[in-house]
Amino acid sequence: MKTGTGKVIPYEYIPDEGSEIETVDGRQYLIANDAMYTFFKRTKGELSPFFLALRDEKRLLGCKCVECGLVRVPPFLTHCPDCNFASTKLLEVEQVGILNSTAPITYFATSLFQHMAPYGRGRVIFRGADTALSVNLYTTTGILVPGILNKGTEVKLIFRTNRIGEMTDVFCVPTSELSRDQVEKRGLEESEIDWESPVEPNVLDASAEDTSVYREALKEIKSIVEEMNRNDRARKDIAGWRRDIAVKARGGQFALIIDERGIRIEEKELSAPDFIMVSQDLRVLLDGLAYRGAITDSVINKRLWISKNPEFTTIFKLDRMARSVARSKKD
Amino acid sequence: MSKRVGIIGAAVTPFKGRWQEKTYYELAQWATREACKDAQVSIHDVESAFYGIYNDIFERTCIPEHAIHGLLGMQNKFGTRISTGGATGAYTMSAAHAYLAAGRFKTALVLGVEKATDCFDFASMSATPEVIKTIGWSGDSFFEQPIGWTASDSYAEVVLAYMDEHPGDLKPETTAEISAQLSRQVRTNPYAQRQFDQVTREEVMNSRLVVYPFRELEICVYSEGAAALILAEEETALAISRNTGKPVVWITGLGEANEHSFVGKNHKIMSRIMSDYYASRRAYEMAGIKDPTQSIQIVELHDAFVHQLEISMAEFGLVPPGRADALIDEGLMTPGGKYLVNPCGGLIYCGHAVGASNVMSAWSARNELLARGLHTALVHGTGSTIAQYTACLILEC
Ligand SMILES: [Zn+2]
Repeated sequence: MKTGTGKVIPYEYIPDEGSEIETVDGRQYLIANDAMYTFFKRTKGELSPFFLALRDEKRLLGCKCVECGLVRVPPFLTHCPDCNFASTKLLEVEQVGILNSTAPITYFATSLFQHMAPYGRGRVIFRGADTALSVNLYTTTGILVPGILNKGTEVKLIFRTNRIGEMTDVFCVPTSELSRDQVEKRGLEESEIDWESPVEPNVLDASAEDTSVYREALKEIKSIVEEMNRNDRARKDIAGWRRDIAVKARGGQFALIIDERGIRIEEKELSAPDFIMVSQDLRVLLDGLAYRGAITDSVINKRLWISKNPEFTTIFKLDRMARSVARSKKD
Repeated sequence: MSKRVGIIGAAVTPFKGRWQEKTYYELAQWATREACKDAQVSIHDVESAFYGIYNDIFERTCIPEHAIHGLLGMQNKFGTRISTGGATGAYTMSAAHAYLAAGRFKTALVLGVEKATDCFDFASMSATPEVIKTIGWSGDSFFEQPIGWTASDSYAEVVLAYMDEHPGDLKPETTAEISAQLSRQVRTNPYAQRQFDQVTREEVMNSRLVVYPFRELEICVYSEGAAALILAEEETALAISRNTGKPVVWITGLGEANEHSFVGKNHKIMSRIMSDYYASRRAYEMAGIKDPTQSIQIVELHDAFVHQLEISMAEFGLVPPGRADALIDEGLMTPGGKYLVNPCGGLIYCGHAVGASNVMSAWSARNELLARGLHTALVHGTGSTIAQYTACLILEC
């Protein structure tokens, strides 16, 4: 996502010049590092009022055909092809709408969008509009999972604090997660929303059997984590990463710490964890760490909940560590 | 009165995840050489060339066909390039047919070719994210590219909207079973990228969710490769057929439709693939097909995603809308069932070398018509954002 302050192409994406030989069936092939790049000073032309209204006035514009009255949001044309190209007029629509259909969620994004994943992208028909605007969708309740952004879900347009006149200036969250004042306010900014109070799932009371399942799983997790620590590939997967994670399950809770010393378990309650992981059954996490199915899948399938959406990256790193250990065993 | 047009030669290169050994020049020439050989014609007898190449960035050049025109021996002749996203190959066949049917040329080369995995992401040191990013430049540049449009999430929009309307259809077990079946069918396709990747329903269901509801083994794989057809108008086709001894496979119906790329009232209906509906109905009408469930025997369908395969079959009128799972539940596409669907393994297992894919599908449909003594096949290409584009062809033998 562009912020209006960085380089058009971040330096870290740019490879060095160079080439290498790849050998296939005994023959050598020359393979060169390369790029196609074109820089633009690109006009938003007739779409400029729409993007300027988002950026400068926190208003959402559409256009209305003077003949048929259809209101298109965004205002992507100046004349209505349905009415023999009758002219359209810009008008403002409301900032609450409903999802036209269930929105897909992208969990594994390319380098361009990794920082905003997992993200929903869906079509919202705002009050006063006849067509849908494609927007990013998020939740304040924790990790974004299927079931939150459904057909008919009412959503509110939220404005980024730093706006540059792009579609990334706005996104939507369900109105059910906001106060009535927030829903009614035009130009509501992301900073006005509480992102720090996700709805943590209740862990059910543990029976004696649950507790023993928990103790057994924890024991295995400890041993896997120690193995990860001894594995160079796995250590590389979390290089430079620091997280204090509170893990809660039926039967108990502990801290999963990732820092420059590696990854480790401490049987204590964290007062200010970076994020919280909750699963009714600790074996869900155990299976993932043991490379029996991806932890990311458990998150998507709601068997394991995390309190902060962007921490999906950390989950992905844990999967990578599990894979690294498994690969080392194979070698 | 327009002329009848038929396929008199066809060939594909192997589809591979990466062709370090070949540029698109050589892939294009390879498929063309083999197609000429199949038709037993000299390239000098081919009067026109129609190139299906999807993405300039994959070939790392704009007007990528200019370089291959001469090296195919087509210099000083008609050559044009078609690019319509995933439907590129099907639209290229449609264009070639139109010129021959109008009497402009007697013969045409249809050549689909694509590279993909020359693209490389140096951050993750792998090709796939850069391939996805490159396809991502195909989304709407003002409203959708900046917010993370991908081919997968845009097709997922359509599939999820269909599931909103038909919550009991597209069951995970069924989509997984279709994928498993395609993986068994691909075994007999020596040109396929995943010829020996047979998977079980359980393996599909346990594969990673990439974009909900698509699992890794329910998505077409990016390939590099080429596919070529030699088309001819009726008299020429029959003369060549007498020479080769291979029956002409006639293109008796064509239909195309591109939907609106924006959604809402009077715009795209998200839960439908109306492009599939209109294109198939237009093709049936041209071919004189009244009831496709009685006429269509082979379907070579562009399966970008298994879920979309099911919806497309419903839009073609081959299975009732909302009950697409009948493809498996009622055995409509299981072995010995009513329809032979993607005998080549489809794009999920044969591979998706975009510009070449639908041409490969036509190659497969022709092979199956000839080998099995069947009469009627439907070939399909889908593409662009939210399944916006479709081209369909009816092949008869
Ligand atoms: Zn109008």
